[in-house]
Amino acid sequence: MQVFVQLLITGIAMGFIYALVGIEYTLIWNATGLLNFSHDKFILFGAYMFAGTYVLGLGLPPILAILFAVLTMFLFGIVSAFVIFNPLSKLSTNLFAVIGTVILGRIMIESVRLIWGPLPFTLDNFLRGSIHFGSVVVSKAHLVIIVVCSLITAGLQVFFKTTKTGKAMRCVSENKTAASLMGINVPMNIAFTIGLSAIVCATIGILVIPIFNVELQMSSMIGLKGFASGVIGGFGYLPGAIVGGILLGVVEIFGSMLIPSVYKDCLSFVLLIIFLLVRPSGILGNKR
Amino acid sequence: MADNREGKSILTLNHVTKRFSGLVAVNDLSLDMKERTIHALIGPNGAGKSTAINMITGLLPLTEGEIYHEDTKISGMNAHQIARTSCSRTFQNLKLYRSMTVKENLMMGNMTDRKQGFVPFLFDIKNANKEEKLMNEKADQILEFMGLKDLAGEYPANMPYGKQKLTELARSLMSDPRLLFLDEPAAGLNPSERVEFVNIMLKVFDSGIDIFLIEHNMDVIMNISNYITVINFGAKIAEGTPEEIQQDPVVIKAYLGDRYKQNMARGASNA
Amino acid sequence: MKVNKTSALIAVAAIALAAILPMFISNNYHLNLMIQVLINIIIVVGLNFITGLTGQMNLGTAGIFSMGAYTSSLLATRLGINPWICLIAAVGMGFLIGMGLGYPSLRVSGVYLALTTIGFSEIVRILMTNLTGLTGGALGVTGIPPFSILGHKFQTNKEIYYLYLVIAIILIFNAYRIVNSKWGRAFLAVKDNPDAVEAGGINIASIKILAFTLAAVYATVAGSLYAHYVGFINPSAYNLEYSINYVVMLVIGGIGSVPGNVLGAILVTLVPELLRFMENYYWLVFSIITLLFVIFLPNGMVSLFKGKKREAKAGKGAQANGR
Repeated sequence: MQVFVQLLITGIAMGFIYALVGIEYTLIWNATGLLNFSHDKFILFGAYMFAGTYVLGLGLPPILAILFAVLTMFLFGIVSAFVIFNPLSKLSTNLFAVIGTVILGRIMIESVRLIWGPLPFTLDNFLRGSIHFGSVVVSKAHLVIIVVCSLITAGLQVFFKTTKTGKAMRCVSENKTAASLMGINVPMNIAFTIGLSAIVCATIGILVIPIFNVELQMSSMIGLKGFASGVIGGFGYLPGAIVGGILLGVVEIFGSMLIPSVYKDCLSFVLLIIFLLVRPSGILGNKR
Repeated sequence: MADNREGKSILTLNHVTKRFSGLVAVNDLSLDMKERTIHALIGPNGAGKSTAINMITGLLPLTEGEIYHEDTKISGMNAHQIARTSCSRTFQNLKLYRSMTVKENLMMGNMTDRKQGFVPFLFDIKNANKEEKLMNEKADQILEFMGLKDLAGEYPANMPYGKQKLTELARSLMSDPRLLFLDEPAAGLNPSERVEFVNIMLKVFDSGIDIFLIEHNMDVIMNISNYITVINFGAKIAEGTPEEIQQDPVVIKAYLGDRYKQNMARGASNA
Repeated sequence: MKVNKTSALIAVAAIALAAILPMFISNNYHLNLMIQVLINIIIVVGLNFITGLTGQMNLGTAGIFSMGAYTSSLLATRLGINPWICLIAAVGMGFLIGMGLGYPSLRVSGVYLALTTIGFSEIVRILMTNLTGLTGGALGVTGIPPFSILGHKFQTNKEIYYLYLVIAIILIFNAYRIVNSKWGRAFLAVKDNPDAVEAGGINIASIKILAFTLAAVYATVAGSLYAHYVGFINPSAYNLEYSINYVVMLVIGGIGSVPGNVLGAILVTLVPELLRFMENYYWLVFSIITLLFVIFLPNGMVSLFKGKKREAKAGKGAQANGR
């Protein structure tokens, strides 16, 4: 029984990570119509910023480091909105936009490699260890992930429903022309959306450090699985990203008990393809 | 609305209905088009004309009813299968191939006639070239017929709208259809372009192709149609020759307005 | 097939140049690079059918390439089959994959299709890495025999270069014929306006599947050629980065144009090598150059020679109305 609970918590924790990934690219997708294929590099950047520069480089306490990393990524998101995403969204076909974000990703990972070096490093004191609930052992990292992700998800819901900027973002994602006619500064709004997405990416990067360590390949799998979870839950739709993410996380963990664990990663891609062919609108059936 | 026409039917709609979950777009529509006629389907905006033509040409499935082209039941067939029963169509919103020149657009219209399969294409270069030459010649022929010869190498985006419409019409002729569907052919044309288009339509008809058109523009319809079916809110409200339709009080009320009859009378007395 | 005098002359000149090149280059590393270029050209020319002309995003080329490589190598090493027969088997595998991937492309498009192809490629990679009994797992397959004709084995880089050059020329010639024929036009038409294609009596499904099959066959052939050249293969090389590379070659050269594909493959394979003097920075610089190309010269290098094609100056939204 306790094994079941431990696995469930691990699954939910990973699921929340996938859900956040789903959220961050869905934000950009809804605002710009572009699928950000460099999102996993945004996550990478956030993690390296936090670990490499702020903690190890400047020796800041984790709280401050998190703050600075998040802020830096926010600024980076805004800049990339104007420099990259804006020109790409104006190109005539999707093909170029996709390739554009992919190459942006390459530039980012190369920059990371040049700035912080190709060798992985670890943060020994960050979110390590486990907590005992009776006979159930839960890793601190998983617990923090679940708590933080829930807070972020709830926070975003509140943000979109109540704040002026949040509502403006929803308008922009529905209909840019109408939004600008209503007086919303659409380019700034989109830039803010991408900045917000970057913040979420940074958070993901920081949260997964205890699980994947800080190295160049740390985010590529969760990036792809984030795409899969979005499709499974309902593409382009925030609740869909959340549902799909958690579902995928749980299915993966329990699935790896039935099939050899080396094929665990296959599961998400098989599910992705099945859903794309059979029910492309996902579990929540959103027909965006 | 007594139908005392003679001759072979080439297009028949039997109780055709289209429902879009709650909304009835076409309601129990039946009509019969005779060969060697220009048959028009008219009605106000939103009457269901586009839905009707999309069902006939296979782009929309029917909810109820049947459609026959000559003796073949075409309702239920795929769009490309229907096209192969010797029909062709144009689109209201123009569906030209923007990456290709006018001539290449036309050559696409002829592809089904060219029988060479893909694998033979790879190995039998001589016949492949021969086919290409035939397609080229046919395209030249139709371009000449339509007066578009000078624009053969142009891209659609660079041409005036009227020429683009002519190009799409030319493309639809490439497959030697016996029945041509025109979807609001006069839409978006200025008066002089309209006159040119009507002349071309008559020329096409004279060359042996029957025409079924949906249209809005009264001048075009009344002057060239042999028979008119009028629909409103998806259902047939009148049917007859242009003269009969102009007199029909139901049609006048629903669509033309009292003034049109007066204007037509005035126009006739001025001519 | 419209071939004007200039194009024919350029083609002949290019072939002549390619033929005499090994006389000036005897460095094995450079010859290896040239062979790599030939293999990449074949892949990109194939990819052009589905992604360049028909406009269906394919990011799974690496997976298809590896299927070809593995089919050919396993048949050669486990069953001792003549490499030429293995090549034909790779073609057959290409057919299967083309059908297999072609059908999904009828139901999904755009980013969804991109994700499907990525999913396919990843599944292939994971299976190749873990079905150790069949594929040799992470170590892959070794001892793959080279091609031979009438007992003469093609073992030196120079010989292989010439053999592959002949094969590449045949494939390029065919691709050029296809692109400039009713088939090529059909591919473009499916990208531009699927409804009109259907209304014109053509079954879109068969066109899309044809395009996918061509792309897959070209990729599996390239995979087989690669396997019998290098002599060993393992799954680590067949990941998303490679699939992306091929699309980059397509875009930089010029989508839709066979000379463009060739040019793109050559440039993207060779330019990074030329930049190696930058040592650590060379890949970053190359990526930045690529991004600039995508943004400022999306129609590729060929557009510099032909003058910008005047078709789609319209942005994404303007297609609908024909105005």
